[in-house]
Amino acid sequence: MPETYAPPEQRQPFENFRPYRSTRLIHMSDGDAGARVVRDVYYDPSQPWSWTGQHPTVRLPAGSNQNLRYVIDFALAGATFKDTGPVTLSFYVNDHLLDRVRYTESGTKHFETPVPPDFVTEYKEATVAAEIDKVWFAKGDRQRLGFILTSIGLKQE
Amino acid sequence: MIQAFAAILGAALTSGACYGAGDLLIGKLGVKLNRTERAPLAFILGAACLHLAVFAILALHLAYWPVFVLLLVGLIAIPAWRAGFSPREASASRPGGGAKAPRGLKPALLILFGAFTVLYFFHALAPESSPDGSSYHLGFVARYLRARGFEPVEDLYAAFSGGIEMVFTPAFAIGKHSAAALTHFAFLIALALAVFAYGQRLGKPWAGAAAAFLVYASPVVGIDGTSAYVDVAAAAITFSVFYWIEIWDEVPDDRLLIPAGLLTGYAYAAKYTAFAIFFYAAGFVWWRRRSLRPALTIAGLALLTAGPWMFKNGVVFHNPVAPFASELFRNRYFHIATIQQLANRFQRYEIANLWSLPLEVTVRGFKTQGVIGPAFLLTPAALFSLRFRAGRRLLAAAAVLLVAYAANIGTRFLIPELPFLALALALAMGNSPGLIACLAIFHAVTSWPGVVGQYAPGAWRLSGRVLYREALRIVPQDRYLRQASRGYVLASLIEEHVPKGERVLALAAVAGAYTSREVLTGFHAAFSEDLEDTLSIGWVEYSQPRVLERWRFPERNARRVRVELDAMGRPDGWSNDEQWSIHELRFFHQGTELPRRPQWRLSAWPNPWDVQLAFDNSPATRWKTWERAAPGDYMEVDFGQPQTLDEVRVETSWDHQLQPEVKLSDEPSRRWNAPGGDFHATPVMPDPNIRRYATRELALRGVDYLLIADDSPGSLDFRGDPEGWGLELAAQGGGARLYRIVPQAGRRQEK
Repeated sequence: MPETYAPPEQRQPFENFRPYRSTRLIHMSDGDAGARVVRDVYYDPSQPWSWTGQHPTVRLPAGSNQNLRYVIDFALAGATFKDTGPVTLSFYVNDHLLDRVRYTESGTKHFETPVPPDFVTEYKEATVAAEIDKVWFAKGDRQRLGFILTSIGLKQE
Repeated sequence: MIQAFAAILGAALTSGACYGAGDLLIGKLGVKLNRTERAPLAFILGAACLHLAVFAILALHLAYWPVFVLLLVGLIAIPAWRAGFSPREASASRPGGGAKAPRGLKPALLILFGAFTVLYFFHALAPESSPDGSSYHLGFVARYLRARGFEPVEDLYAAFSGGIEMVFTPAFAIGKHSAAALTHFAFLIALALAVFAYGQRLGKPWAGAAAAFLVYASPVVGIDGTSAYVDVAAAAITFSVFYWIEIWDEVPDDRLLIPAGLLTGYAYAAKYTAFAIFFYAAGFVWWRRRSLRPALTIAGLALLTAGPWMFKNGVVFHNPVAPFASELFRNRYFHIATIQQLANRFQRYEIANLWSLPLEVTVRGFKTQGVIGPAFLLTPAALFSLRFRAGRRLLAAAAVLLVAYAANIGTRFLIPELPFLALALALAMGNSPGLIACLAIFHAVTSWPGVVGQYAPGAWRLSGRVLYREALRIVPQDRYLRQASRGYVLASLIEEHVPKGERVLALAAVAGAYTSREVLTGFHAAFSEDLEDTLSIGWVEYSQPRVLERWRFPERNARRVRVELDAMGRPDGWSNDEQWSIHELRFFHQGTELPRRPQWRLSAWPNPWDVQLAFDNSPATRWKTWERAAPGDYMEVDFGQPQTLDEVRVETSWDHQLQPEVKLSDEPSRRWNAPGGDFHATPVMPDPNIRRYATRELALRGVDYLLIADDSPGSLDFRGDPEGWGLELAAQGGGARLYRIVPQAGRRQEK
């Protein structure tokens, strides 16, 4: 006969506890960032940032689609900017265009914008991307360089 | 440099004690051996004796380093002292002779052995960074030494017998991790010497030398035998069983069954799969004598060395052969499904076509983690040795061991077979020392780590560099280990940021031998796997309580209620058969839940020990069968007295499609009856704070820290909003994050 037990102490619900915010931000310093790259991110595990190509895209795990904001932290390198001049970046979720922004100066940048719920399917993976209109060709290997990516993803408000 | 010296001292004393103990026993038995075979056989037999002594010391909680030093010095000194007063046995039972090796073969073999020995010695002396050595082989040694003896550890690796780890223990007490690795290296030398000596005993010393080299230089043997693993030691033991049985066959003296019997048990103590040699030994002596008596003698003696491990497991895990056979010895410590999944995995290693296994273990080595070397592709030629009696016996022993190999087809699990196959191969070449010399040279070239890297880049192998700077600690140990072992980096992270006495649930591989904190790993035990399941419920939708099953029926009086399956869980190949689970089981009368009373008695089958998880009012815990669901599986509540009810609710998850039935007891007839009524299953949303429920459950079980590798499933969910999990980031490094569970305000945490 199996052992029998009395009911255990009953767990009480949490009061005044802020519910989880579904934040899916990929930092280039994360150990798994390389595995999430879909295209155009020249991931370097030894650096907390990565050079991108023209259309860097990363894959995010499934999560909520409510009250999301697209968030990206990046930098426009002075060395490339002096050749390319002002650039325009387009920001995407699941290939839906969210916004376009023109940058007239190099340096670190932060961009975030709300994501309509129908751009993301709940409990399905999503992709986030940014596209730069002008790329810079590295001397030597002629690699197409876009910008320096620090983090990108979706944040729930 | 002091660390290196201590490691050499620890290994030298331990190895010397092994030899001393074995030499003493061989002397007592009056066995005459030639000098070449006496050294390795005494060492291996002595290790069996030393292991029993260390087991006793740990069982008595006397594990202080002076105790070990006394033991080791005593075992070295007593035989040495006795030897001073008694003449040495003058000759072997059958001195070596036979065909002479061709000129030049001896120096060539010495050069080859020498080159590999230099490489091996410095690797063994370098800081121990092997995956298994630095995690569990030495992790438990370190833990027992801290506790001054055995302590119950709920971990499947602690359930495996630790016969070699017992020999590592005094070495580690003196010289830490590298001393253990050097001690294992001593087993490798003993094995090579034993193989060579056996060839000499057969009158074919050059064949013995070549076979010894085939074993010694084999890439997987090199890395394993110079790390704190146990496979090479297990091979040394199984081969020495064979050796002693062969001597017994030549010299009809049943005292020779004593070392053979002790060593068959020691094979069990070293590694479960090595115990296959018992069946060879018992079968052989029965066949030769046509009597059960010698076989029973071997069995009885084997019990002396294997019995303590069965007894320990019986006491700690209620299962003498834990973690296996839990279907037979039901226990709360290991999940049947998990052990089955592991066993299935070890039988395949993701190899789609097992016909490719010979190539995988000889020249690829990525999936099975190592190569024995391309020279062993010639193994089928060993069948030509069947024309010799020795060849037939060697191949018979190899065949018996190969049966056990089927249980785990990892390359290193072939190591116990290698001495037999190598000798058979060398014998098969008959009187062709030139051919054997070519084979040895080919093996030397293709086994050199730099060359192995060319044809088997993914194989587990030695570094091509002689690690003398690391071994002598010219390169500081910490710096080397931080480069060589991610597990060490994580262990250091834990050591620095987790207070003493705290436990960590790790979703990452940690070198447990380098931290004094208790690190729990999910699949290692039922307790930690339950915790990991609770965490998964926090973020994995299909594990969450998203299905509400309701049975509504006319009002009934019943003292006992069951939900019971009448269907079998779906098989899922070899990885994950369908299991049944219940997050919460609730009873209602006229829409009001019956309050859970202390008088209630809850039971379930299988996995009765977790039944309370379905009655704790937490959405983040659940009872699971943890084995394939089967008709008759149930959960039952005995209210203690008849209770009126008209509804039963089960909160469960998507990860199974099993549909139970509700049954009420009819006490007078002692029968179970269906209550009738209707059934509905509806989707529901889990509590929005389910993640916080999950971490609270961990804290309530005394686990306040979580180590999550960035590349582990769900890691992004944790780092996306640690606060939403009730976590705070304590530290970060090595591609992982260490979180502390924030205590619940106003609530004392239960431990």
